[in-house]
Amino acid sequence: MSAPMEIVLSADSAGQLWNCAVLELHSGTNLLAYRGGNTSSRSLTVLNGEYILGAQLGKNFINVWEIQRKDQLQQKIVCPGIVTCLTASPNGLYLVAGIADAIYLWEVSSGNLLAILSRHYQDLTCLRFSDDSSHFISGGKDNLALVWSLASVVQLDPSHTPEPRHVLSRHSLPITDIHCGLMGPQARVATASLDQTVKLWELSSGEMLLSVLFDVGIMSVTLDPCEYYLFCGGSDGGIFQVSLCSQSLSRDKTFQSDNEGNQVFKGHRNLVTCLSVSMDGTLLLSGSHDETIRLWDIQSKQSVRSINHKGPVTNALIIPAPANMFLPDSRPGIPLPRFSRHLNPSEQGEGVETGGVCLRLAPHTQSVFGDGENTKVRVSELEEEVRTLKKVNKDLYDFSTQLLTKPS
Amino acid sequence: MTKCKKKKRQDDFQKVKLKVGKTKPKADNATNINFRTKGINLTEQLKKDANAPTTHRKLNIKDLLSQLHHYSGTVKQGALVGLRELLTLHPSELDQHLSSLLSEAAAVFTDKDPNVRMSATRLLRFIAQSVPAERTSPFFPLLSAHLSCAMTHIETGIQEDALKVLDVLLDHYPALLAARPALLLNNFLELISHRSTGGGARKGQEGKGRSWALSVNPNRNVTGQQWRLTVLLRLGRFLQAVVEERRAEEGVACVSGDMFSVLNGQGGANAPLELNWEELTYRKGGFQVFEHSGAMPTPHSTFKLRPETEPGAGVSEGLGTGEAVRGFASTLVPLLLDVWVEASASDRSKTDSAHLLTPDAMSLMYQVLSILQLLRKLAPQREYQDTLDVWFRSEYLGDFKQHFMKNFPYGNLDTPKQRRKTDPKRSKQSTTIPGQTVEPLALNVLLCQVMVSMVTLSQREGQAQEPDAEWLMPLRGFVQETLSSGAKLSQRHLHTLLETVWRMVITQRSRAVTEDLLQAVYVQYQQMNLNLQTRTLLLSFYSRLYLQEHNHTHIARSRVLSRWLAALPLQLSQLGHRNPALSDRLLLSIQAAASRGNKALLNSLHTHACRLYDPQEGSVVLLPAESQQRLVQLLYFLPVMSQGLLANLSRCCTAGRVSAGLAASLIRIIHLRSSLSGWSVGSQDMTLRDVDYISFLFSTLTGFSSDELATLQEAGDESVLPPSPLSPLSLYPTPLEQFTHHWDVVEEVCHCLETLGSRSQCFDVLQNGICKNLTGLAVVPDSMAAGLLRAVARLLDLSFLPSEPLLRFLSRCCLSLLSLLLTLQQDTASENNHKREAVWGACVAVLSSIPRLLRLVLQSLRVKDLCEEELPQLAQILSLLLQHTALRNHMLANATLLQHIIQDLTRYCRGESKEQWMTDLLYCYSVTMATHRGNLGLRDIY
Repeated sequence: MSAPMEIVLSADSAGQLWNCAVLELHSGTNLLAYRGGNTSSRSLTVLNGEYILGAQLGKNFINVWEIQRKDQLQQKIVCPGIVTCLTASPNGLYLVAGIADAIYLWEVSSGNLLAILSRHYQDLTCLRFSDDSSHFISGGKDNLALVWSLASVVQLDPSHTPEPRHVLSRHSLPITDIHCGLMGPQARVATASLDQTVKLWELSSGEMLLSVLFDVGIMSVTLDPCEYYLFCGGSDGGIFQVSLCSQSLSRDKTFQSDNEGNQVFKGHRNLVTCLSVSMDGTLLLSGSHDETIRLWDIQSKQSVRSINHKGPVTNALIIPAPANMFLPDSRPGIPLPRFSRHLNPSEQGEGVETGGVCLRLAPHTQSVFGDGENTKVRVSELEEEVRTLKKVNKDLYDFSTQLLTKPS
Repeated sequence: MTKCKKKKRQDDFQKVKLKVGKTKPKADNATNINFRTKGINLTEQLKKDANAPTTHRKLNIKDLLSQLHHYSGTVKQGALVGLRELLTLHPSELDQHLSSLLSEAAAVFTDKDPNVRMSATRLLRFIAQSVPAERTSPFFPLLSAHLSCAMTHIETGIQEDALKVLDVLLDHYPALLAARPALLLNNFLELISHRSTGGGARKGQEGKGRSWALSVNPNRNVTGQQWRLTVLLRLGRFLQAVVEERRAEEGVACVSGDMFSVLNGQGGANAPLELNWEELTYRKGGFQVFEHSGAMPTPHSTFKLRPETEPGAGVSEGLGTGEAVRGFASTLVPLLLDVWVEASASDRSKTDSAHLLTPDAMSLMYQVLSILQLLRKLAPQREYQDTLDVWFRSEYLGDFKQHFMKNFPYGNLDTPKQRRKTDPKRSKQSTTIPGQTVEPLALNVLLCQVMVSMVTLSQREGQAQEPDAEWLMPLRGFVQETLSSGAKLSQRHLHTLLETVWRMVITQRSRAVTEDLLQAVYVQYQQMNLNLQTRTLLLSFYSRLYLQEHNHTHIARSRVLSRWLAALPLQLSQLGHRNPALSDRLLLSIQAAASRGNKALLNSLHTHACRLYDPQEGSVVLLPAESQQRLVQLLYFLPVMSQGLLANLSRCCTAGRVSAGLAASLIRIIHLRSSLSGWSVGSQDMTLRDVDYISFLFSTLTGFSSDELATLQEAGDESVLPPSPLSPLSLYPTPLEQFTHHWDVVEEVCHCLETLGSRSQCFDVLQNGICKNLTGLAVVPDSMAAGLLRAVARLLDLSFLPSEPLLRFLSRCCLSLLSLLLTLQQDTASENNHKREAVWGACVAVLSSIPRLLRLVLQSLRVKDLCEEELPQLAQILSLLLQHTALRNHMLANATLLQHIIQDLTRYCRGESKEQWMTDLLYCYSVTMATHRGNLGLRDIY
């Protein structure tokens, strides 16, 4: 059997048999199961295709598995509090966790805690990265969703606390789920909330594009990859499909009577907590508190498959299969470092840094608001710097080639 | 020959001898002037032009326009007056000839004759009043060209009148005028100053030498100061127009100008789509979310590749960029300072105290300050404004301190009245200047605003604040005193003061200062009888301040602010339904604070919750729907849900004063709060006890409080249907509206109960509730009976056996409802359809899910107790039950019982007249039995 392209990763809050299971998307066969503990809602994430991370429900640590060694818990990352949501950046460089009302940001390569952002007033519910890892969005029980620019958050500037790029503050009850579309900073963000609305925002400007009011509170939201449809999982078990582009093909469609039934996926009996769409936009995965996950054919809106769990489903996502997952002999590219619990490890006397260099950008202080002469000087300065850098780079290259090619 | 010639000559030229003392003889050609002349003015044409409308002088528009080229001033003036008359009489002419009218009228702006100019201005005002801006816009370049021609004219009279033309344009077309500010700004400068030509060398020495200097023209008929005042007045209005136009362009409502008027200032240019799921499903066409199919970001994107305009643009290129504004400001501000210095110097000579100003000086200063303030706002974007402020501070702080702050606050100099009377010329002059009366309060307030904007947000260097403190002291003192004096302030002054306070609070970052200032504002807030606008202004000031608190700890810790927050719920409950708009404002602030978990507010909310959610006179039932929704959403954040509150809420849900949809979302929110729902609220988990929650659900399910039920039991027979053997309970028919409302609520409650967890336990609880509270009732509302049946059918677990008392009660309910159904079917009004279906559905569902209940129902049908009229009803009930497919099998299980009943029926109905209902029943019975036997038969065969 060839390795599957896409897999389903799911976890429930009971965790009797396993913590999280890997299923084949189309056949539904159980491929792997990772054991140990159970995972809280919206906190299962795959780091760099090499590790699976899941926050332990009700405890203050994160379970980590190497993706090919399913039986053995590789590490427990101990955190300062109960982790309510967790996500890793798609490029695998950063890890973001929501702990109480603060966002913790770690650098994966060094394990340093880079920032603690406490702009939320209540507990966090959801964290999502944009697909190019340039921004992340956090949603909390204080009705706010904040858009953070990763670059500005990791800047080393002790006097200046990072501010979110946008504050999305139009919900009137806690945010339950966030979905960030594709296209990097030009992406669209969908937020779902208990106030029975789903809102669609533009990431670049922070403006609201669309707000849809439903009859029930919405617990989960997702967009298909083309952003043709918005799927919203309701608290009564219905999944609502909102078409975002007008279809002008209605010329020969006269039979409209079952219009309503057409747009709701009916089957779940309790809160729909997670939704995910496959890469080709044909299959919809939903997990619910009625202890099942269901796979739906989007075109015909029928339930293709229903898989029972032992407890309320906390995480269910469709991801492209990581290469390492089915190769038992593979090794992760880099070992996972110890994640620090404090902002400045040297000050806290915890873990002596050895050899590593922490590279962080200083804030951009130069004001552009100057007259022409100043700019010219500045440009020439910068050019000079670039030249120096190039020279240093070349020296380094020469040195290393010499070292490497030297027969020893 | 010669003789003859001589003679002739003598004849021709006779010498007239003039002698002294004799009258001089009249010359032959002397004119007789003994006549009188009378002029004949042909002001009217004799001919009548039938084609075009004419003035009373019979001149049509072409004649009039051509007269404008006449050399004589009177003719021109007459033509202008005529034009105005013609246009008032025939407004249609205006549309046809607008282009020529405007161009001709504008051409005489520069006429030498003051009367002509005045008439031209009047005509322009008349045209402007009746032509909207968008129709004038094609001719506006021409108009403004003529205007600037007049403004820069060498004759002072024309210059002065040009300002009047400008007034007209500012009144009616501010946006058009502001679209091209560059040229006009230069003109303004030239009106009060002149460009010094030989400044090249000096410029090099002084760095930023001033190339403009104030000028005085002695030919003017007003003093230099008054002339400057008039010019500055216009400049101020013009800048105001530019600022407003820019704001409209950007579509940003919350530029500091009106920061308090829009609370959530997110009103971007492109309005988001607001959709409703129900509309969405029933609508035919789709909707378009993404402009340009989403390929381009909206113009409000904060990502910019390069600045849109080249830097380094001078004044001549308008005020589009920050650089340009700065360039213009660097020219204008020194001039303004000079104007003020001259004025104050001349003023000083008249008064002893420097604090007191004459009215003229005061209005001049007011204009200077307001122009300064406008200059700040001119910056095209928010970020430029800050840099502009920094620049202002670095350039002019010293000058401002020296010239403005030295004598702050200013007072009015009381000019003795008799002096005015003796000096009529002076008083006449002062009346000619418009807007000359400026109160000292307005001046001082404006000065505060201008000076405070100089304080920049320099957090980095905390020490640099120190020198500011010294000159900020008097300002702060003044602001505090004015606010806390308790006097009523006008809307505008209050707005300016609040902006000043805002700026001080944000920039000062000291807790004590913040406390004092906020306390002063609070004094204003606590005043009685404020009008709505002022109240809203103060309210939005505080709420904005609160929303800003996250990065200012000194604000967050302010005691005044938390006191204000804590007072909000009380205010809301006291306000009642009197002012929904204000209540909505209050709710917005409460909601924001509640979602942030503000302790003070939550506690106060908890105290006043019972009043707010009172089912009779609480805000939740009095306010309009949108505010109701906010109040319901607020429930999510309430720290503790007491029993009393839950009882109130349950009454709110059932009383029908909130819509069914809202009641459903209320139930859902309380469901989320309970620990049984699977959604964790957060740290404060056990704030809603499960017992309370379930009793809330139960009382909502019944829909009637115990008191109401008790009164129903005692109520006379007039309102309820009397009990009968066919209807063992007497039903109270609820109004249709209440029934449907309750039905919707029941659905939601059932859904909540279903998701609670173990079904059998849940049903057990329900059963206990019904047995304890309801089984003893003799009078039951029909909505309650139907709701109970519905809930039982939905919640029943197959493994669970309901208790006997419950079943007996249910069977009575069921039978009563079935007989109600028959009476409902008799009146065929379509509005009862829903009720009929609901009742029938509930009965069928419960009967088919509990076979034992059906048996009980059938057993209770004792034919011999019935009177004759009731027999057909019984037969109808039976045939209804028999016809229903879901029930058929259960009916067959009770075949013997059924047979008995039918036998009794046939016996009692006297047989002689086989009536329709009897035949129907027998037919249904035989069909059911036949299919049953058929099935049996088939089964026997195989």
